[in-house]
Amino acid sequence: MRKRYVGFYGCPPLEAIREACERTSSVPLDLDGDFGHPSAGILPATSCRIIRNIADNALFLKEELSCVVAAVGEDKCDAGRFLARILEEKGLEVFPVENKNRVRRKIVLATARMPLKEKMLAIMETVHTPFEGKAEFCEPSVAFWGVLPHDLRLLELFPDTTWVYGWTRCVEAGVPSDLSLEMEVDPRVKTIFFTQSFCAKQTLAKHLCEKHGGLLVDSDGPISHSLIAKVEAFLRFGNK
Amino acid sequence: MLIADCGTTWTKIKRIEEEETSLIVRPTKEILEDRSLFFERGTGHMAKSRCAHYENELVALASGALSRIEEKDFTVVDVGSRDTKFVSFKNRSLERMDWNQACGASTGFTLELLSRYYEVDFNELGPSFEEISITCGVFAIEKVFDAILAGATPSESLARMVKGVARSVHSFAGSPKVVYLSGGLCENSCFLRSLSSFAEVIPLGRDLLLEGLEKLES
Repeated sequence: MRKRYVGFYGCPPLEAIREACERTSSVPLDLDGDFGHPSAGILPATSCRIIRNIADNALFLKEELSCVVAAVGEDKCDAGRFLARILEEKGLEVFPVENKNRVRRKIVLATARMPLKEKMLAIMETVHTPFEGKAEFCEPSVAFWGVLPHDLRLLELFPDTTWVYGWTRCVEAGVPSDLSLEMEVDPRVKTIFFTQSFCAKQTLAKHLCEKHGGLLVDSDGPISHSLIAKVEAFLRFGNK
Repeated sequence: MLIADCGTTWTKIKRIEEEETSLIVRPTKEILEDRSLFFERGTGHMAKSRCAHYENELVALASGALSRIEEKDFTVVDVGSRDTKFVSFKNRSLERMDWNQACGASTGFTLELLSRYYEVDFNELGPSFEEISITCGVFAIEKVFDAILAGATPSESLARMVKGVARSVHSFAGSPKVVYLSGGLCENSCFLRSLSSFAEVIPLGRDLLLEGLEKLES
């Protein structure tokens, strides 16, 4: 089978993805998402769902991946670092990289008026293709702090005037290991702090939520009825 | 107008007419079989496909609490058949809330199940000084059996479990000094007296979510 993709996860340096794509005549493929591939069964059930997605996707698509560009530094997490080694031992060609960039790109999408799901996906596209279009700026009615969730239906609960903070904002700025930017929120705007269950970012999310107020939620696989209810109630009754 | 709170085990229906309103409580399994029933407004998972306007349970609870309670700062807890949810307001603005659905099994349904099996009436049962630690329904039932095997009466064992549920509910809600209580356990005197060991309890009955539905703009 022709190897068509350079798989990547996290937010590796743009040059690392480009170089791998050019060298192998492949196109980039973000392995973080839920493609519905069967479980590879190589990780504990208490692993973050995104890490499990990466493992499942990489092993299912193994024959189509020319290589995997793996984020293994402070820009990702220990689980990403360990997974890089595991994938290598499973026969994939893996390039472990760290993204230490501190030169921030201009934020456009995170503050734009557009459906949150579309906005978050567009930001994740900037990992391999910088955004060069235009987007309408809006004043925020609510803020979403966190990462792209495994179950994207969560994002459909939010209004188009939701600003994005946390690691996703760092991704748009091209500085995924910039902890100072990751900790920024606007204390005047009601904020929902989201993490995947079993993710180390829960520590940061809880701290920020207690410091600034807001709603702290986490989810593993598909979002539950109670999680939807909490977000809906917070959007309706939460005040700043 | 018919509005309904369709819980896992019990459905509370309010008929609102010009002159008077009435409350009917029916087992949800009957409502599921009776396809002719359709509600103007509904809450509860089972109501989703049976109403013109749906609100989730936390929204209905928060709305009902704001309507019924005049305090500026308060916590209202709803203990249902299989879950516990609470909303805390400060200066009548939402401060905290949570909904324990996955691990909240040791609530109304489990208590009903055990009271029927052992033929124990919770309204004739005093609170226990001892308690069974509650982490989930399955563990709690196991500990009730253990207590009986160790010589406690079924009544005493269940009273210990109720005390454990009360502590768990109080802790889950952030250990408030005053608990406004909603849901079917308002009619369980053993639970009310057990919960009173941890906080002042003000029972609001099982129609608070319905009141919330009434107050919400559709």
